[in-house]
Amino acid sequence: MDTLKLEILTPNGEIFNGEAVSVTLPGEEGEFGVLANHSSLSTLLEAGVIDIEKEDKSVESILINWGVVNVDEEKVIVLVEGAVAIRGESESAIAAALDDAKELINSIADSNPAIAAVSARIESAAQRLI
Amino acid sequence: MANLKDIQRQIKSVSNTQKTTRAMKLVSTAKLRRAEELARRSRLYADKMNQVIAEIAGRIKCNKIGGIDNRSFCKIENPAMVDIVFVTADKGLCGGFNIQTIKAVKKLLKEYQEQNVKVRLRGIGKKGVEFFKYNEVELFDSVTDLSSKPDKSRADEFIMTSIEDYKDGKIDGLHIVYNGFKNMMTQELHTMKVLPVDAEQYECNETQNSVLEIEAQDEEHMLNSLVDRYVEYAMYYALIDSVAAEHSARMQAMDTATNNAKDMVKGLKVQFNKARQAAITTELIEIISGVESMK
Repeated sequence: MDTLKLEILTPNGEIFNGEAVSVTLPGEEGEFGVLANHSSLSTLLEAGVIDIEKEDKSVESILINWGVVNVDEEKVIVLVEGAVAIRGESESAIAAALDDAKELINSIADSNPAIAAVSARIESAAQRLI
Repeated sequence: MANLKDIQRQIKSVSNTQKTTRAMKLVSTAKLRRAEELARRSRLYADKMNQVIAEIAGRIKCNKIGGIDNRSFCKIENPAMVDIVFVTADKGLCGGFNIQTIKAVKKLLKEYQEQNVKVRLRGIGKKGVEFFKYNEVELFDSVTDLSSKPDKSRADEFIMTSIEDYKDGKIDGLHIVYNGFKNMMTQELHTMKVLPVDAEQYECNETQNSVLEIEAQDEEHMLNSLVDRYVEYAMYYALIDSVAAEHSARMQAMDTATNNAKDMVKGLKVQFNKARQAAITTELIEIISGVESMK
């Protein structure tokens, strides 16, 4: 299966760098998915969850507060201001990540109606892992 | 020959200085480690941000996106006024760190003045601000305690004036000059042309024949907010890189000072011993000649 190279960067370092089968991004105009060989595209992202489907079919979720994405045929570069990856080795690590994620959501100043939906999304992502 | 007591006093004073410089070196080393780590983590993001911006600028230049007329991406002929933002340290004792930045700013200033372009100087950091004030060069505005404690929101606030003025057409260019961290031993001077985005280095590559699509209701909005973030981050990155460079410069300067003090103490000790021996010899001669005269 074709894969695309995905890089997600925050000012504090890389949060994801690797191959992915598909990635779903929370665009300002609505959610959209990217597969390998996507045409070039640049757009802004709003607060939401990035879902990454990896080669082994597992899905990783990363919460972001603002970002910009640049897609071309070979790779996808996502630059975000703040991000929390919902992952961890143990249940407690996942719970800690979830807390961080909630904190990030609360720090987003303007009360967006989408935020409630985002909270629900990260809860379910964590459930899936546990 | 100098008095024994004088030499002793000198030795004491130099070794005290040595203690101070050594302590300052240690402090800088500790601070450098933290600052460098921060700068290193941000470098990836800054580089990628530049890459994305350059790519968009390049594609706009190569006419792959039709009908975009954003001021930030246009080449401006005959600029009337430009902003130069410089970052220096708040404190001295770091070798040529500040003066290098100041020299670069002066050079840039002269270049523009020769072309009859007005320049608004905006300063960050006490040392640079003081220098230009002393030399009676007018500064448009300045902040003084931002460069030692980089803060994202204050940096955003500061640079936003330039971004807004650029969009309104009050200024036609924006440069950021700062001394950045290269490695433990060297600093690297950066003179960045932030606005308008420079697409010169981007070559129109035919193999990348795809059309860049900008997905947003209006492209202006997308490009504008992207440029805001880009410039804000460039400013913030300049600040943190500058802090790391400042500490490395200070560490080096203090190391050299400590070594110089060490050499000086060594020289003084030799001088002291010589003087002491001379004094002993004189005393002996006096005793012997006294005994001789009694015979």
